[in-house]
Amino acid sequence: MKILVCIKEVYDSPETLVFDESAGRVTFGPHTVFRMNRYDEYALEEALRIRERLSSAVVDAISVGSPRVSRIIRRALEMGANHGIHVQTPGETCLSAFERAHLIASAARGRGYDLVLAGVMAEDDMESQVGPLLAAVLEYGCATGVIFEEISADGGRVAVEREVEGGSRECLTLALPCVLTIQSGINTPRYPALSHVLRARSSELECIEASGLAAPPPTQGLVRILPPAQGRQGEVIEGAAVEKADKLIRILREHSLLPR
Amino acid sequence: MNGRFFIIALHEGGRVREETWRLVSFARRCGVADPVMMVLSDEGAIEQLADELAHRTGLDVAGLAGSHLREYSAEAYIRTLVPFFRDAPEEAHIVTAHTSRGIDFAPQLSAGIDACCITAVEDVGQGTFIRSVHHGRFRAEVRADRPRVVLTVLPEAFAPDDVAPGNPGKVRIVPAGDISLSTCSRGARAPVHANMGLTRAEVIVSAGRGLGSGENIRLVTMLSSLFPKSALGATRAVCDQGWLDYSHQIGSTGNTVSPRLYLACGISGAIQHLAGMRDSGMIVAVNTDPCAAIFRVAHYGIVEDLTTFIPLLVDRYLRGE
Ligand SMILES: Cc1cc2nc3c(=O)[nH]c(=O)nc-3n(C[C@H](O)[C@H](O)[C@H](O)COP(=O)(O)OP(=O)(O)OC[C@H]3O[C@@H](n4cnc5c(N)ncnc54)[C@H](O)[C@@H]3O)c2cc1C
Repeated sequence: MKILVCIKEVYDSPETLVFDESAGRVTFGPHTVFRMNRYDEYALEEALRIRERLSSAVVDAISVGSPRVSRIIRRALEMGANHGIHVQTPGETCLSAFERAHLIASAARGRGYDLVLAGVMAEDDMESQVGPLLAAVLEYGCATGVIFEEISADGGRVAVEREVEGGSRECLTLALPCVLTIQSGINTPRYPALSHVLRARSSELECIEASGLAAPPPTQGLVRILPPAQGRQGEVIEGAAVEKADKLIRILREHSLLPR
Repeated sequence: MNGRFFIIALHEGGRVREETWRLVSFARRCGVADPVMMVLSDEGAIEQLADELAHRTGLDVAGLAGSHLREYSAEAYIRTLVPFFRDAPEEAHIVTAHTSRGIDFAPQLSAGIDACCITAVEDVGQGTFIRSVHHGRFRAEVRADRPRVVLTVLPEAFAPDDVAPGNPGKVRIVPAGDISLSTCSRGARAPVHANMGLTRAEVIVSAGRGLGSGENIRLVTMLSSLFPKSALGATRAVCDQGWLDYSHQIGSTGNTVSPRLYLACGISGAIQHLAGMRDSGMIVAVNTDPCAAIFRVAHYGIVEDLTTFIPLLVDRYLRGE
């Protein structure tokens, strides 16, 4: 069984982003640090667990992005992936899910993956599209928001549970090959084992230039980044910490929410 | 908006889901008064669903029927909708709700008809669509570069359209053939994590990742003990870490609550969390980040480190301040 896991690099904290309102742009700041999208960590962990259940499985990790992205691919190797693929874009490029999905599909086509896993959503763009678009391009089946999976003994089908509103689950069985987008909480992602860390250090990543891959023209364009909508004009309680605490206690008492 | 405008209704248990009415007000927000309502189901249920849509909205309805649509699956929807829209006029907006189902089939539908797909749309610009990005800190204005556009619309961003129509719309039932699917639906399972204690509580003290460690759960427990009829809530992030079990989770895939007071501690205010608590009577947020999205739904905001502020708050209260 060949498994591909799509991983994305995201910034660790949105507080470090720099917003240029007149240009309508957001850029990384000097203190921005990067890590793997959390949902993709769950996807990778699930792939590793499948490999542990099915002895002959192989897990590849793929990511699209600037040279910096190689770090999270190495992290995937450290967690236990067999092979890392880097679809490299020149410098900082802001690609839509559509473009990412097509680049991953071009790189993956012909390699005979039985199962493709991705996180249910990227924490930064929040599009939730790479997995299902990739499925459509590769003509694979797809289930999103997967919180449980079990591959049949013959490796031909996978039973999944999708998490839906209120925490209910939809149960379905898909034929392989297919794409599953993985919901957080399906497992507990592991920390890298020392043996894998050492092996990852000496492993070569497979590097593919994005410009050499076939992809259709983008379906959408970013016009600009806007500040958030106004929302409720709540009161920000000001003062020293003690004053804030006392004010809050007073407010809660006035509303009979705290006993006197 | 140019071209035709289609709304794909969502339904469950033979009834149209409430998000669908919100899509009608989204259409009006786009300046479209006469979208076509669409619904997919099997022959047994399609007429009742189509009638409900036609009566409630006064709009024309196309019902696509086939036995493969008895239960929802993305494959059933895509294999029905792709042929339908391939034959429809080039220029079209196809809209559904940003729910677990909408987001399950919309991207694949878009790929099948060479459309642009924009998800979690919450507002409309000048021929553009606006959606939240970067943890709700900013919004992105996005332009579609294809004549066909598939949108998933955030239901909570639009009020349900309650205009009582004069006459019901025309209903057209279209047989969608009987497609044999490779996906097999095996029904649904009820939530395992429903928590009556949360729904009954007058005050919910809720913990987010900002707690920093499972050990700090004692802080929210301590704070919660000041209030009679209180309960502990949590974000999914807290439950995923195992700091509290999933019965405490509040949000779109957890419990929905509306206590008199919701005290959000170290919670960023992701849309999926807000979906479960935004109707609370009073929302108080404690967060170190003044730009956190939670402050835009809070009645009172406190920019402080919860690890020092909660003990201080409890101390001041117990001293009778
Ligand atoms: C399909 C789907 C369904 C989902 N369903 C749910 C759901 O039902 N419920 C849910 O909650 N989430 C849900 N999520 C996840 C959601 O998108 C967010 O990831 C999650 O709500 C974030 O939790 P958080 O606010 O605790 O963590 P974060 O977003 O990491 O926020 C932590 C906050 O703590 C603040 N902070 C840090 N340190 C301190 C400190 N010392 N003192 C004070 N503040 C501090 C930070 O400024 C930050 O704002 C879902 C996601 C998906 C994709």
